[in-house]
Amino acid sequence: MSRHHPGVSNGYPRDDGGLDFAPHSFHPRTSPATRRRRKLMKLGIIIAATVLFGLFVWPGNLSLPSIFSFGLVGSTTEILMDTVRYYDLSNVQGTARGWEREERILLCVPLRDAEPHLPMMFSHLRNLTYPHHLMDLAFLVSDSKDRTLELLVEMLEDLQAHEDPKQPYGEISIIEKDFGQKVNQDVESRHGFAAQASRRKLMAQARNWLLSATLRPYHSWVYWRDVDVETAPFTIVEDLMRHNKDVIVPNVWRPLPDWLGGEQPYDLNSWQESETALALADSLDEDAVIVEGYAEYATWRPHLAYLRDPYGDPDMEMEIDGVGGVSILAKARVFRSGVHFPAFSFEKHAETEGFGKMAKRMQFSVIGLPHYTIWHLYEPSVDDIKHMEEMEQERLAKEAEEQEKAEKEKKIKEQFGDTNGQWEKDKSELQNIAKQASADQKSDSKKNSKPRDEDETSADSQKQTSPKSKKGSAENGAKAADKKKKGNAAKEEP
Amino acid sequence: MARPMGPVRLRRTNYVTLTIGAFLCLFILYFLANPGSDVPISTSRSPHANPPPSRKSSASKAKLIGERPPVRRFNLNNVTITPDPVQNREAILILTPMARFYQGYWDNLMKLDYPHDLISLGFILPKTKEGNAATAALQAQVTKTQKGPLNNRFRSVVIERQDFDPPIVSQDEGERHKMENQKARRASMSRARNSLLFTTLGVDTSWVLWLDADIIETPPSLIQDLAAHDKPLIVPNCYQRYTDPETGKPAERPYDFNSWQDSPTAQEMAANMGPDDIILEGYREMATYRSLMAYMADQEDERHVEVSLDGVGGTALLVKADVHRDGAMFPPFPFYHLIETEGFAKMAKRLGWSATGLPNYKVYHYNE
Repeated sequence: MSRHHPGVSNGYPRDDGGLDFAPHSFHPRTSPATRRRRKLMKLGIIIAATVLFGLFVWPGNLSLPSIFSFGLVGSTTEILMDTVRYYDLSNVQGTARGWEREERILLCVPLRDAEPHLPMMFSHLRNLTYPHHLMDLAFLVSDSKDRTLELLVEMLEDLQAHEDPKQPYGEISIIEKDFGQKVNQDVESRHGFAAQASRRKLMAQARNWLLSATLRPYHSWVYWRDVDVETAPFTIVEDLMRHNKDVIVPNVWRPLPDWLGGEQPYDLNSWQESETALALADSLDEDAVIVEGYAEYATWRPHLAYLRDPYGDPDMEMEIDGVGGVSILAKARVFRSGVHFPAFSFEKHAETEGFGKMAKRMQFSVIGLPHYTIWHLYEPSVDDIKHMEEMEQERLAKEAEEQEKAEKEKKIKEQFGDTNGQWEKDKSELQNIAKQASADQKSDSKKNSKPRDEDETSADSQKQTSPKSKKGSAENGAKAADKKKKGNAAKEEP
Repeated sequence: MARPMGPVRLRRTNYVTLTIGAFLCLFILYFLANPGSDVPISTSRSPHANPPPSRKSSASKAKLIGERPPVRRFNLNNVTITPDPVQNREAILILTPMARFYQGYWDNLMKLDYPHDLISLGFILPKTKEGNAATAALQAQVTKTQKGPLNNRFRSVVIERQDFDPPIVSQDEGERHKMENQKARRASMSRARNSLLFTTLGVDTSWVLWLDADIIETPPSLIQDLAAHDKPLIVPNCYQRYTDPETGKPAERPYDFNSWQDSPTAQEMAANMGPDDIILEGYREMATYRSLMAYMADQEDERHVEVSLDGVGGTALLVKADVHRDGAMFPPFPFYHLIETEGFAKMAKRLGWSATGLPNYKVYHYNE
C-alpha cells in the first residue's frame, strides 16, 4: 500500500490539507450527455423502486406471487382456488404420536336399530381424550325401524353445541342408505350359524359404503367402533395409535351375570391362521364363508380373545390374520391402497375377517393386543333369557317356600306363646322359691352351727358346705316348682 | 499499477450496483414483511368462486379448537344412477392417474359436452421429477380453466400426489411394456387408482369415469353415450392413430388389450399357476387365446353393439359409483391371477356386477 501513497508517489510532499486529487489520473470534463444519462439513471432507480414496492408490498396485487410459487409446488396442502384442492398424500401417513402432529382421524360407526345404545355411545364420545377437533365422525344408518336417526341427529347437535369448547368434533356426516336387509337384528337371528355368511356380506357392504363416502385425502387414520361397546378406556385411540401399526385391534370381552361365570371372550373374529383352517378353506366352495365361533367349522385357530391374561402387559402385541370389527384402528393408507371389507368370499372370509386377510395380502401389519381389553355390552341370548326365567321362577318358588315356612313358625309361636309366658313366670317363681329356700337354710345353719361342726371333721369340707347346701336347696326348690307345674298342668288338662 | 486507490474509486458512483442493491433490499424487505403471502390471497378470493362441495371447505386450513362444524345428513338412497344422467343432474367423477401431462388430453376433456358443473375431476401424480413437471403443467391448465368462463369451469378439482414411489422411473413406452416390469408397474398403478378413488368418491357421485392421461381423442358425448347403456361397467374400444410408414397415410391400430372375454386356455393356465403369478394380455410368450375386444371392431357405424367382458382395460371406463361403493377396487395383488383393471372386473363380478364392452365405440390413445 505504502508505495501507492499519494504523498510519496512522485516526490511531492504529502498534502494533509484534505485536498485529494491524484495528479496522474485523468479527469474528463463531464459532458451534457453524461449528465443527462445520470439524471435518467436516478429517475430509473426511483421508478424501479416504486414499481417494486407496488408489486410486492402494495396490498391487493394478486398476480405476482405465482411467479414465486414455482418452488413451493408440492410442499403442503395448497389452495389454488376454492374449487381446486391439492393434497400430498405423503403428509397423511399416520405416525405413533398423531395427536401431536394434528393427524386427522375418521371415526366410522355403522348403525342399525341402535336407538337404545346411542346414549352409551355418546358418553364414550364425550370421554375420548384424542383432540375432538381432529376427529371426523361418520355414521351410516341403514334399514332402521326405530328412532335411531332422529335420536342420533339430536344427540350430535347437542354434542356440537356443548358448552365445553373442547367437546365438539370435526366434520360430522350421517349417511343414510337402506340395503333391504332381511336379517333380523335380534341376538338369536344375528348370531345363528345359517344367517352368518349373508349377514356378514351385508355388514361388509354397509361398511364399504360408509368408508368410501367419507374418507378424504386429509385423513391419516380410520377408527372403526361398534355402537354397543360398554366399557373402554378413554385413551383407547392414543393407546392403539402408539403401536404405530397399520391395523390394530384390542381384545374384546363381555361381562356376564354371575351364574354364567362373570365374564366371557366376545369377539372371536380376531385370530391367527392355522393349518387346519387353510386346509378347510381349500376344501370349501368358492362362495363359502368361514365364520369363527361355531361348531360347524372347527378351525383350531388361536383366538386373541382366549389369550387374555387380566394381569398381562397391555402393550403386548400378537400377529393376527383375521380381525374383529368392534374396535379397529387402521392407518388411512391401508384403505387408500384398496383394502376394504369384502362383501364376497375373499379367501373364504368376509367382512372384518376378510379385511384382515386382505390387509395381510398387501403386506400391511395386522396386530392384536391380547391383554388390552374393552368390554362389549352383554345382551342375553334367547337361551340365556329362558335360563334366567327359569332361575327367576326358581327364586320365586324358593321365596314363596321360605315365606310359607316363616308363616308356619309364626303360627306355631302364636299358638304356644302362652306357655312361653308361663315358663317365664314359673322361672321367676322358681327363683323366688330358691331364694327363700337359701335364706331358710342360712338361718338353719346359723342355728345348727355347732352340731354341724361336729359332723364335719375337716376344714376343707367345711368350706364346701355352703354351696352344697345351696345346691341342695335349689334342687329342693326345683322339685317344688315341678310339683307346682304338674299341678298346673293337671289343672289345665281338664 | 501506479494509479492511487481509494478516493478515486469513491468518486465514481456505480449506478448499476446501486440499482441492484436497492432492488435486493426491496426484495428482502418484501419477504421479511409477509412470509406467508399466498394464504390471504386465496381466502380473499373465495367469495367469487363457485361453492365447492361442502365437505372440502374446511379441510385444508388447520382447525381451531372451539369450531363447531354442523351435523350434515346425506341420503344415499336419493342418489340416482340412470341412463339419462344429464336430465337427472347426476354428478360424475372423472379420475385420471397421470404421469405425464398431454395438452391433447386436457383439450379433449374441455370438449366433453356433459355439463361441467356436474363434473368433478380427480388426478393423482407420482412424486418424481416427471410427476412434478406434470403437476405444474396440470395446475396451470386447471387454474386457467377454473378462472375462465363460468360454463367451462368444473365443479371441483382434486390434485393428489402419491405417497409411494413408482417402481419404474421411466415412463417410456418400450420400458413400460416389458413383461417382467408389468406386475410391479400395474400393482403401483392399482394403488394409485385406489388412493384416488377412495379419497374422492363423494356422497352424491353417481358415475365414475376412469380416463387415462394419454387418451387424447374421444367423442364429446362420451359420458352420455356410455351411460345410456345403463351398465355397471362399460368400456369403449381404445385405439391409436399413427401414420402408416409404408403408405404414409394416417391409420389406426388397436391399443388396449385388457378388455377380453375369457378362454379355456387362460383358465387352464391360471389353474396351473402359483398363487402370486399373473396372466398378462398382449404378450407373445403368454398366449391366452382370449377373445380380445380390440379385434372385435368391425363396423364403424354400429357404435352401440355390446359385448360382455371378463376383463376390462382402464384407458376409458365408465363405472356406476355403487360398484365402487360396494368395495370393488383395483387389486394391487394377484386376484384370481389378475391385477389392476382386469382384477377389478373380476372383483366386480364377485360382487354381482358384470362388465360390458363397446367394440365399435372408439377412443384414441396418444402416439409416442
